[in-house]
Amino acid sequence: MKILKRDEAIVGVVIFLFGAITTFLSLKMPIGTLRMAGTGFFPLCLGILLMILSAAYVFRLFVQYKKIVIQKETAVKTPGAMRQMGLFLGAMVLATLFFNELGYPLTSFLLMAALLRSLGMKRWAFNILLSFITAGVSYFLFVQWLKIPLPKGWIGL
Amino acid sequence: MFESLQYLATGFTIAGTVQNLLYCLIGAIVGTLIGVLPGIGPIAGIALLIPATFGLNPTSAIIMLAGIYYGAMYGGSTTSILLNVPGETASVITCIDGYQMAQKGRAGPALAICAIGSFIAGTIGLFGLVFLAPPLAEAALAFGPPEYFSLMIFGFIVLSNVTGTSLLKALMMATVGLIIGTIGLDPVTGDARFVFGSTYLLGGIEFVAVAIGLFGIGEVLTNVQQPQELLEQKVTIPRFRDLYPSLQDLKKSIASILRGAGIGFGVGLVPGPAPVIATYASYMIERKISKHPEEFGKGAIEGVAGPESANNSACQSAFIPLFVLGIPFAPPTAILLGALLIHGVSPGPLLISQHPGLFWGVIASMYIGNFILLILNLPFVPLFANILRIPKKILLPLVILFCITGMYTVNNSIPDIWVMLLFGALGFLMRKWAYEGAPLLLALVLGPRLEIAFRQSLMISHGDFGIFINRPISMVFLLATVLFLIIPLIRMTLKKQRKEG
Repeated sequence: MKILKRDEAIVGVVIFLFGAITTFLSLKMPIGTLRMAGTGFFPLCLGILLMILSAAYVFRLFVQYKKIVIQKETAVKTPGAMRQMGLFLGAMVLATLFFNELGYPLTSFLLMAALLRSLGMKRWAFNILLSFITAGVSYFLFVQWLKIPLPKGWIGL
Repeated sequence: MFESLQYLATGFTIAGTVQNLLYCLIGAIVGTLIGVLPGIGPIAGIALLIPATFGLNPTSAIIMLAGIYYGAMYGGSTTSILLNVPGETASVITCIDGYQMAQKGRAGPALAICAIGSFIAGTIGLFGLVFLAPPLAEAALAFGPPEYFSLMIFGFIVLSNVTGTSLLKALMMATVGLIIGTIGLDPVTGDARFVFGSTYLLGGIEFVAVAIGLFGIGEVLTNVQQPQELLEQKVTIPRFRDLYPSLQDLKKSIASILRGAGIGFGVGLVPGPAPVIATYASYMIERKISKHPEEFGKGAIEGVAGPESANNSACQSAFIPLFVLGIPFAPPTAILLGALLIHGVSPGPLLISQHPGLFWGVIASMYIGNFILLILNLPFVPLFANILRIPKKILLPLVILFCITGMYTVNNSIPDIWVMLLFGALGFLMRKWAYEGAPLLLALVLGPRLEIAFRQSLMISHGDFGIFINRPISMVFLLATVLFLIIPLIRMTLKKQRKEG
């Protein structure tokens, strides 16, 4: 006997809602005729198709399982792993946010240092050295050698 | 036929000059490096280096740019195998089994089989190019919007069948990809759709951002949530003798390589992103005919050999419509068309008679280039494979840095990085709930073309859907699609009946 996981059903419903929103927004555009389809015609078809597919998926989830036991996804992630993930994502978001202002070499150095630290690289000296080397190599590869225009930022490199 | 061989010999004389050999070598090396760097695919690579060819004669310039093209296609598979980051679109499928092979300590054989398969496919592609170019180019002309639409529908169903365990989930992802593909300007009327007042969204969602996000960032995030001790662990380190494919690997791969080469060559002639379709079609066929289909997705070498050969072969045959018709069917060949025009060469039916040196010289150089790639890449297999020796806690930040840098270089755009991060989070969640990224990605690429083909077909038929079944080629594709949908259902029912019986 299989167990129905609540998360699977929720994902199916979320996809259904995405299809419904697409359909709703498409209806606000010109639909046209079959002979001369308008801007909203194709996304309307796709929205309806997605709703049908996701409804069929959720329906099958309920029908296929002989014994329906709504089971909440067990949280296997430790608080440490979640913190690690949060720090990792935060570093990426901050780097993107200040990419233009800080410039490529500084952003890549700070990003590397933050990511290494978030993954548990405790020795600061090694962390900084590795980040410096990585930032330097990538700067010479992309900016100096491939001549790719990357943000210079306030340090002007 | 004899005449073609004579012309080919002349081509080898032209491509074999010291100057052209040097440009071919530079193109292959630069292309491989570009392909290895995530984000900078063949399109950006060729575009970036066109100015460097201004001082060259047209033949040398196209030889070098073509070298960058197929070098990048090869290099793209390296990151797919080692880091699960597709360097370019056609390498997405290589991620599936290539990355699994690398995780099991078999990165070396995967990389080597790519090089060997690409070379064999390149050889077959060359002969196909020489002998079949004129008649096949005519056949490709028979494809109108209905045929194109049916072919793409066939591609989606095929893809949905091959990826993952649930056809419904794969079809849902393909539909989501098609919806995302409608963001931006309507390809027929030019009206804005789903842009919510944003000028960035007018240009649509950048494919590379989605590809790197779903596959690269998604994979990194999945790794990041692992406990510390797992992050300290290195991937299985290959022994030296395991760095190259064994005789058994070669035996297993040779038929896949030959089939992949054939599929790739045929698909390359058809309008559309040929290498992408070719790799998916090849993977599907390999899995369908394999005696052990359950190994696919878990590191089957045939799942790397077939698609990579198809990729290389499709790249070569894509030159036929470019040279003979002057119509580029894929973005990299479109950029090559631009380069040809910059150098004062107009491709079309008269190209072979007006510029025989260029046509045959470039064709011969492709073969030389493939040989150079094989010679260059086989010795580097241990070097690439050893990238996996780096502990994950160092490798993961490096991948993120290269993903962000690579993403920015595509359009010099910060919003592209945001899109990449967004799809990275989505890729992470999709992994968690066992949804495949490949159907979404293919749908995103093919979506606008599918819509154009669909709407043009209906315009031609005055709104009659019969156009898709009244035209023989289109009907064949649709029939094949129906068969692909029905056969697994029949098989399942029979299995069930047998079990119950």
